[in-house]
Amino acid sequence: MKKRHFDKTARIIENLEIRPNIFLMRLACPDICSYAQPGQFCMVKSGLVQGLDPLLRRPLSIHRCHRDTGEMEFLFRVVGRGTKALSMQTSGQEVELLGPLGKGFDLKPTQIPIIVGGGLGVAPLLFLAETLSGKKGVAILGAVTKGELLRLEPFKKTGLEILVATEDGSFGNEGLVTSVLERLLAKLDDRAARDVAVFACGPHPMLRAVFSICNGYGVKCQVALETIMACGSGLCLGCAVRSSGGYMHVCKDGPCFDASRLLWE
Amino acid sequence: MTKENLSKDNGPKLDVKIGGLRLKNPVMLASGTCGYGEELSDLIDLSALGGIVVKGISLEARTGNKPPRLFETPCGLLNAIGLENVGVQSFLKEKLPWLKKNQVTTVVNILGNSIDEYEQMAALLDGQSGIDAIEVNISCPNVKKGGVLFGTDPKAAFEVTRAVKRACSLPVIVKLSPNVTDICEIAIAAEEAGADGVSLINTLLAMAIDIEKRRPVLGNVFGGLSGPAIKPVALRMVWQVSRAVSIPVVGIGGITTYEDAIEFLMAGASAIQVGTATLVKPAAGLDILHGLVDFMLQNNYQSIGELKIQD
Ligand SMILES: Cc1cc2nc3c(=O)[nH]c(=O)nc-3n(C[C@H](O)[C@H](O)[C@H](O)COP(=O)(O)OP(=O)(O)OC[C@H]3O[C@@H](n4cnc5c(N)ncnc54)[C@H](O)[C@@H]3O)c2cc1C
Ligand SMILES: Cc1cc2nc3c(=O)[nH]c(=O)nc-3n(C[C@H](O)[C@H](O)[C@H](O)COP(=O)(O)O)c2cc1C
Ligand code: FES
Repeated sequence: MKKRHFDKTARIIENLEIRPNIFLMRLACPDICSYAQPGQFCMVKSGLVQGLDPLLRRPLSIHRCHRDTGEMEFLFRVVGRGTKALSMQTSGQEVELLGPLGKGFDLKPTQIPIIVGGGLGVAPLLFLAETLSGKKGVAILGAVTKGELLRLEPFKKTGLEILVATEDGSFGNEGLVTSVLERLLAKLDDRAARDVAVFACGPHPMLRAVFSICNGYGVKCQVALETIMACGSGLCLGCAVRSSGGYMHVCKDGPCFDASRLLWE
Repeated sequence: MTKENLSKDNGPKLDVKIGGLRLKNPVMLASGTCGYGEELSDLIDLSALGGIVVKGISLEARTGNKPPRLFETPCGLLNAIGLENVGVQSFLKEKLPWLKKNQVTTVVNILGNSIDEYEQMAALLDGQSGIDAIEVNISCPNVKKGGVLFGTDPKAAFEVTRAVKRACSLPVIVKLSPNVTDICEIAIAAEEAGADGVSLINTLLAMAIDIEKRRPVLGNVFGGLSGPAIKPVALRMVWQVSRAVSIPVVGIGGITTYEDAIEFLMAGASAIQVGTATLVKPAAGLDILHGLVDFMLQNNYQSIGELKIQD
């Protein structure tokens, strides 16, 4: 049977602190890279973790995939012990990777993509934007303030039109990404609305707002979700989220979901 | 480790028997941590293991508990999945054919809320080709007895075991809960009711509190603790139960390395199950098997039974 995912040790090529507490890690991992789809993730364990604590691997989105060189990138924020250990690693060291996991974004219906990323939500979206590069579409990126905007340069290179929102108005539009999205969708006629597909990742309240706006304009919307995970591969059933058809599992049925199937209470 | 070490001719004898259940080696995967097998098939050859115990199955499908269902604790994992499962009919139609086709030794873990439900489950599984044994999860509330767990009452444990044994001709392993005063008492009840073996331990009842939100972390408040943190407790119980009953004992609880597995086999287990370790590393079970074989070769053990400490 053809293998679709792998449990591999990968070597770090570079690990940069691009903002305080936010790291961009580039690794050599041709196997995972050649199968990965935008929106998928890996379960990651730092090679510095010897012994049993922390016990579980941590889920990280595939931020970028260079299929020609077999290099892959993660973009992550240090929040606890697992991400702390990853942040302390340097080039030449190793990490354990299980992946690519989960269901990525569904790219079939995409005529005009609109990508919406809030804060670290851009993590899975750059891979998506680079995959869609060449299409006529938009990426809306947001942060609290200018200094916290992430990965603007590589997004610009995708050829998508880039719109920026900062909550304090220090760069781009003042306010939230959702206001920018709303203004954009308000301009569409019914036919164009049918061709638009929104892809969003960010904090849960943002995703809920994005879905409700899309719903109002009859625009298709997919979101990438996060939950706490143990296995990342459908074994433990721990990563449940509520959907219209009962519980779904973020690591197997997602992390990318058609937002209209989820319950957003 | 080498493949040859695993072959019958020159390596130690690895096969074990639990009543009528024959395992080619003593390493199994524990219920709830290996799905229905297929989920792992991309990464490991399940047929190389002694067997797998599939996710606990009930008469009707169950939706499980409200999230969050997981929380990591020091060297441990708290879970409150709530026995989410596809139900016995879907299992037979959609999951069992794959296990059969891939020649995976399959133990079906069953659960119910009444003796009657356990009995019906056993009858439905009986005679299905591809099923090698039943493991009875008695860590479930007995609805008729006000929700007292079957596994905490020797009389209820006896009745469930006897009902399952009478309803089917498959080997029956009773899986014991550690959340009792005297686990040996329950093991003896299962043995008296005709169990072919007992497996232990299930998870330890536990909880965690989020001090910022000032509320329990898990949606269900309580959950089950598993992983390396529970290993010493599990090992002590396996030691005690092995000396209290004469049927085979399957050791479970925090087994992560081959050394852990050997401790359980020395304590008196005939076989072991790997749970949480598989969630962290899918190949954990196979790594343990290979490590075990190497250890036996190096120390001149000819069979699994020889590892047991005689006292
Ligand atoms: C599919 C998926 C993709 C993800 N992609 C990325 C990514 O690309 N970049 C990134 O920085 N983060 C990502 N996350 C979140 C990341 O997995 C968590 O931040 C990480 O597991 C925290 O581990 P830790 O050991 O550092 O923190 P811990 O010590 O485990 O926890 C510290 C704090 O973080 C919270 N936390 C723990 N696990 C998660 C989780 N899975 N989601 C949200 N909060 C959590 C805890 O409740 C606690 O408050 C993703 C999560 C999922 C499910
Ligand atoms: C996520 C999860 C789900 C589980 N589901 C079941 C189950 O359905 N039936 C059962 O008998 N035990 C279940 N267990 C218990 C395990 O089979 C095992 O007894 C326990 O986790 C201790 O072993 P470990 O420390 O190796 O994980 C589950 C454990 C975990 C972590
Ligand atoms: S994290 Fe284990 S099933 Fe999703």
